[in-house]
Amino acid sequence: MVKVYSTPTCPYCVTLKNFLKEHNIQFEDIDVSQNELAQKEMIEKSGQYGVPVVDIDGQIIVGFDQDRIKQLLKIKD
Amino acid sequence: MLYDLIIIGGGPAGVTAGIYAARKKLKTLLITKEWGGQITKAKEIYNWPGTKVISGMELIKQMTDQLKTFGIEIKENREVIDLDKKGDNFIVRDNDQEYEAKAVIIATGKIPRALNIPGEAQFRGKGVSFCATCDAPLFKNKTVAVIGGGNAGFALAVDLVDYAKKIYILEFFEEMKGDLVTKEKLEKTGKVEFIVNAAVKEIKGSKPAPYRAEGSGSGFVESLIYEDMKTSKDHEIKVDGVFIAVGMMAKAEFAAKLVELNQIGEIVIDKDNYTKTPGVFVAGDISDIKYEQLVIACGEGAKAALAATDYLKNKQ
Repeated sequence: MVKVYSTPTCPYCVTLKNFLKEHNIQFEDIDVSQNELAQKEMIEKSGQYGVPVVDIDGQIIVGFDQDRIKQLLKIKD
Repeated sequence: MLYDLIIIGGGPAGVTAGIYAARKKLKTLLITKEWGGQITKAKEIYNWPGTKVISGMELIKQMTDQLKTFGIEIKENREVIDLDKKGDNFIVRDNDQEYEAKAVIIATGKIPRALNIPGEAQFRGKGVSFCATCDAPLFKNKTVAVIGGGNAGFALAVDLVDYAKKIYILEFFEEMKGDLVTKEKLEKTGKVEFIVNAAVKEIKGSKPAPYRAEGSGSGFVESLIYEDMKTSKDHEIKVDGVFIAVGMMAKAEFAAKLVELNQIGEIVIDKDNYTKTPGVFVAGDISDIKYEQLVIACGEGAKAALAATDYLKNKQ
């Protein structure tokens, strides 16, 4: 299960979501600017006050770390 | 594999250079860490001729989509760490492998300048941010400081004012440098306090909670210390976030063997985008041209690609 915590105006979030779409990865898109509960959850999980944050089966990735996301989702070039 | 041209950078200058090089049928490789650079953080662009208003994200997507239709080779998510000569050719090395080309265009742009004070790196992403466009919604009803009273700092404050309950804007010099129109707009909200002659010295924060994701070694921002340079007295203000806008910085050391850098680290070029090494061209904000604008970066990218084309032709 892949969750993306993001805000609509953050460029890296858009890049990240496009990347997942391009690789046909299904994900839950959580807009933390509209959902304060999810915002708290994100900050607690990641120890991070910034977006994007990705949760891949409980593994937390902060920022658009393409190499790490590829590795966890087993995406090949 | 020997390329005619390697373009380093995927912002407006690099992408435009790529489009021109492709149309000149140069065997081209473009290497970039990310697409767009600074322009991605512009919410609304009003000075891109032909388009009334467009977001930086949308514009760079259009540019890269166009570039990709030409079928040049692209390596994304790669940071170039070294550029050197090999006989008549050049070797470009990234964090993964190396590539060889007859000519190179450097278009790596600029990155936000850091303050280099205690706490800044430690609390990055834990209250310290360079992108209000990204992170402003996380500071709803919170108190934040913006460091830098120029237009960039004002722009951050404008993004934050919809969310934060209180914003301090700290400026190093005697007066705010940003546009008066924006200053008045910010004053009207009643949420903004302007502090001048302020030298920010330290960002302080909490200890980490027991469970944290890997690589996150500290808690969150709690306060900021600045010196009032008129009185030489230190002040501490309670803040949940610190947004930094103290200008942009060139980072071109990877090319230092082949190009001349000026005092602020920009690469010195002539009017046709040549550097001191024939075959190495530079475009956009990383060069020492005076005006740094989206439309200028695109123009410089085109110029560099045309200069490289001529250079390759004359070499044959």
